[in-house]
Amino acid sequence: MRKALLPAVGALLGLTVALVLTLVAFGLPLADSLRLIWDGSLGSPGGLMRTAVKATPLMLMGLGMAVAWRAGMYNIGGEGQFLAGALGGAAAAKVLTAVPVLLSKPLVFVSGFVWGGVFALVAAWLLVKRGVNVVISTILLNFVAIQMFEWALTGPLQEAKGRTPQTDRLPEALMLHRFDRQNDLHSGVLIALVAVMVVYAILFLTPLGFRIRLSGENPRAARASRIPPSRYQLIAMAMSGGLCGLAATVELLGITGQLAKGFNQQLGFIAIPVALLGNLHPLGVGLSAVYFGGLFAGSENLARFSNFGTTVMFVIQGAAVLAYVGVRTVLERRQVEGAEVET
Amino acid sequence: MSALLAILMYATPLVLAALGETVVQKAGVIHIGIEGTMLAGAFFGVMATLATGSPWVGLGVGVLVGMALALLSGVFALGLSVDQVVVGTAVNLFALGLTRTLFAMRFGASGELLSVPKVPSWQGIDVVMVLAVALAASTHWLLFRTSWGLALRSAGEMPQATEAAGFSVSVIRYAALAFGGATAGLGGAYLSLGIAGSFADNMTAGRGFLAIAMVTFGRWKPGLVLGACLLLGWLDGLQFTFQAKGVELPFQLFLALPYMAALLVLAGVGRGAHAPAALAVPFRRSR
Amino acid sequence: MHPLIAVRGLSKRFGPVQALRNVSVAFEAGEIHAILGENGAGKSTLANVLAGFLLPDAGRIEFEGATVPLGDPLAIRARGVAMVHQHFMLVPEFTVAENLALAQIPRGFAALDPLERASPSLEMAERLGWSLDPSARTGDLPVGVQQRIEILKALGEKRRLLILDEPTAVLGGEEVEELFRVLRDLRDKGLAILLIAHKLREVMAVADRATVLRRGEVVATALVADLDEATLAEWMVGDVPAPPVRTKGSAPTAFEGLRLVGLHVAGDRGEPAVVDLSLDVPKGGIVGIGGVDGNGQVELAEAIVGIRPWTGEVSWVPQGVPQVAYVPQSRQRDGLALKMSVLDNLAIEGHQRPDLRLGPLLRLREMARWGGELVARYAIKVGSIDDPVGSLSGGNQQKVVVARELDRKPDLIVAVNPTRGLDVRAARFVHDQLSQARDRGAAVLLVSTDLDELVALADQAYFLLGGRLRVADGAEAMVGGAA
Repeated sequence: MRKALLPAVGALLGLTVALVLTLVAFGLPLADSLRLIWDGSLGSPGGLMRTAVKATPLMLMGLGMAVAWRAGMYNIGGEGQFLAGALGGAAAAKVLTAVPVLLSKPLVFVSGFVWGGVFALVAAWLLVKRGVNVVISTILLNFVAIQMFEWALTGPLQEAKGRTPQTDRLPEALMLHRFDRQNDLHSGVLIALVAVMVVYAILFLTPLGFRIRLSGENPRAARASRIPPSRYQLIAMAMSGGLCGLAATVELLGITGQLAKGFNQQLGFIAIPVALLGNLHPLGVGLSAVYFGGLFAGSENLARFSNFGTTVMFVIQGAAVLAYVGVRTVLERRQVEGAEVET
Repeated sequence: MSALLAILMYATPLVLAALGETVVQKAGVIHIGIEGTMLAGAFFGVMATLATGSPWVGLGVGVLVGMALALLSGVFALGLSVDQVVVGTAVNLFALGLTRTLFAMRFGASGELLSVPKVPSWQGIDVVMVLAVALAASTHWLLFRTSWGLALRSAGEMPQATEAAGFSVSVIRYAALAFGGATAGLGGAYLSLGIAGSFADNMTAGRGFLAIAMVTFGRWKPGLVLGACLLLGWLDGLQFTFQAKGVELPFQLFLALPYMAALLVLAGVGRGAHAPAALAVPFRRSR
Repeated sequence: MHPLIAVRGLSKRFGPVQALRNVSVAFEAGEIHAILGENGAGKSTLANVLAGFLLPDAGRIEFEGATVPLGDPLAIRARGVAMVHQHFMLVPEFTVAENLALAQIPRGFAALDPLERASPSLEMAERLGWSLDPSARTGDLPVGVQQRIEILKALGEKRRLLILDEPTAVLGGEEVEELFRVLRDLRDKGLAILLIAHKLREVMAVADRATVLRRGEVVATALVADLDEATLAEWMVGDVPAPPVRTKGSAPTAFEGLRLVGLHVAGDRGEPAVVDLSLDVPKGGIVGIGGVDGNGQVELAEAIVGIRPWTGEVSWVPQGVPQVAYVPQSRQRDGLALKMSVLDNLAIEGHQRPDLRLGPLLRLREMARWGGELVARYAIKVGSIDDPVGSLSGGNQQKVVVARELDRKPDLIVAVNPTRGLDVRAARFVHDQLSQARDRGAAVLLVSTDLDELVALADQAYFLLGGRLRVADGAEAMVGGAA
């Protein structure tokens, strides 16, 4: 476990260096900027809460990406699976209005998970049965999901007034418990933390997780040991989409209370570097989600006092991912090159 | 006529990027980073035009920025054999963050109304539109009727055969990436300089990914890719026509059709829809 | 008078294996020269050095008396040397014309009509009596036709020497005859032809001169007219005794073990890879299957272990389902996940063991202890059991596979070339493990292209040719002579 976490910690330290360099490169006063970011994230109670709120969807979706990528499924359809999950959650909430909240609330989550998972399964099925590249199919499915989402907002799920393309606000009883009104801190944070532990347990403590990882590392070796890799790739993809759907449901029930355009906030794409810099390890993903959540919250604070927006995060993410994978590839190559190469 | 020209104009950034990506994918590389490349082309094109007053300089800078990002991707994806999806994702984030941040720093967080001289047009036609259409014909010629095209396609199907024929797979793939970067950068610059006459945050709005989808839908054939892009533009326009006429239709489902069709094509409903066999597979020369 | 091309004192080493040792051979124009030897004798290495794909450790190549730069395929090609690989360098998606054109396109940029560019090759095809549809998709054509394209690619304009690496391995009987007709034709036109082969009969039928290699050394070079099959066979395999067709001394008891009846298996491209094969593998016995790669060995093994569909009958006699161990041909491709740890690679077996599971969970501590025991028992050299298995030497990687598979306490072991690429000590270790498993009562199917290995281990030996089983009852048969 320490071995898995060390690279993640290293990556996060590297990220901080990248942050400093970025601030300098953009010519911002370093000390002041860092203080604003610190105050807005880990340096104050309010900042801590904002960090947790921002980290929650990143954590869930980062976990989703990690599970799929571990199985060798380059899922970049997080965006679509997130939207599918959002529709699943909202649809369940709409259908189940007559059902007591105690029952309907879990069902809303289940529905979000299942819709996200099923949507991801389409891509997995296309690969397993038809050999369609997952990257391409998930890109296409993202567009399908966006259109589906917008259609739902003007059609079956549109608000009763029928004026704006958005859903009705959910009844307060259905919403997640809020610990803090001002900072939006809600109990969905706990769901994300539990998900980290559950995904860790599945991937590293169960035969199922072992087979998922083996299927990703070398499907031919899995097959030679009579473990059908396609089955585990399907399962991993369903879990991945499910986690994205769950993330959407948590956002819906935790923060927005309704669906409208822009609900996805490009989380599907931000989640990929979160997963990569977390070394595709659930605990690493948890850590890197908190880091990026903090950076998100901190740069919001920074944005209040300068023209320098939350977008700094993307620069840092992009640069850090390249540096990280580059260094790792060089190290790995050195390690394997010492050994035999089969002729 | 003018309606057709409008479709072509709005589709031009997509056409340029998709044709470039066709060449890149035919060489065996999937370049997800064209979304960010387009955005960077759009932004730096506008900045260069602001500085010089000439949209032509802006277009040129767009091309250069696109090539620079493509070569950066090449260093990681080809030189280090880092997964191409990872590299592309990083490039996208980097470009998105960079353009947003620079834009906000220069013009304020809200983004003051920015206007630059547009690419001059004549009767609704401009040079870049003509170039986009001509590019479809010339990439087809390049891919299927020249020595380089033959070598490039073999690198996307079976790189060992390319090397056996005496070519360097690596050189071919770098060249393809540079071409794809140039067209994506130009497409982005045209978006801001030819269509909008301005820059807005994240103004590409997924067009790069759309281009990748159109490459698939057009089955990696330049003519069909052009057709796919125009079809999409037409469907998009139809939406507003219908809305103006007050017709109630679930348009979004209609707009999802091309993507579903592309998926069906890929799933093998139509034969000959094969992606290049070595797509996204790094090649390392054996010694 | 210099020979057309000659190699002098070539040596080449791959890790522990000396593939070529001080090899000198001369090739004359207008002659079909066969290089003969078992698998691993160094034939392909010699061809690859000659074609410039491999850099030798020592020695030189002379072309009409002048030294040629080594390890430079283009320089050698410019002198008219071309090689037809055993694995075709053809793009399946391309048309025939495009594949032919690819082999002859100019360095620089040029407009090019594949059909036009391919037309000299197509004319050549016509002269050789081959009809080719230039617009056909290459991947749809039968293997024999694909080979013709490959030969046409190699022929080009000013060819002087054509190297063919095991060209008959993939061909049926009539296709072989057709190929030989064309080779004789080309020889009569003045070309030098280097034919890498392992089948005596074919060498006797087509070659003018033969050079026999054994363990990287030249045994002899002679005119084929002065030779007979028996002499060649002896040169190839040395003084090995015929593999014992031995039945154990005890009174015949009822058969127990693996029984295959009328087995048919399809290959990756749907071609028949194993044809109507019937075989008994008794408990407590090692049955060897020899023959050249690509004659259905891997497909047979995969069918038996249950990862490739088959028709016919595969049964365990008298009854039940055997515990099967599988040592695949390529440990790096099929045996191991190189980036995962040694323990994880052992766990490919371990995670299925009931004693290492607790409900839905794995007992990680127990698993580590179990893995540590295996590493100790099989003397696998590792820094830490958590190191990636890819950082181990080839021999230790193979030990990981063997340890994992034999720990199943298998009733049936299927091993394909289990010692390929290993040094002598590691190979002996694997052999000992297989013998011990046999002595414990396991049924062992050993598929190997290494004749010595079969002689040393197998109680009964067969070989596979074109997916059909042949009995091996002597050195000649083992190398495909008399049968």
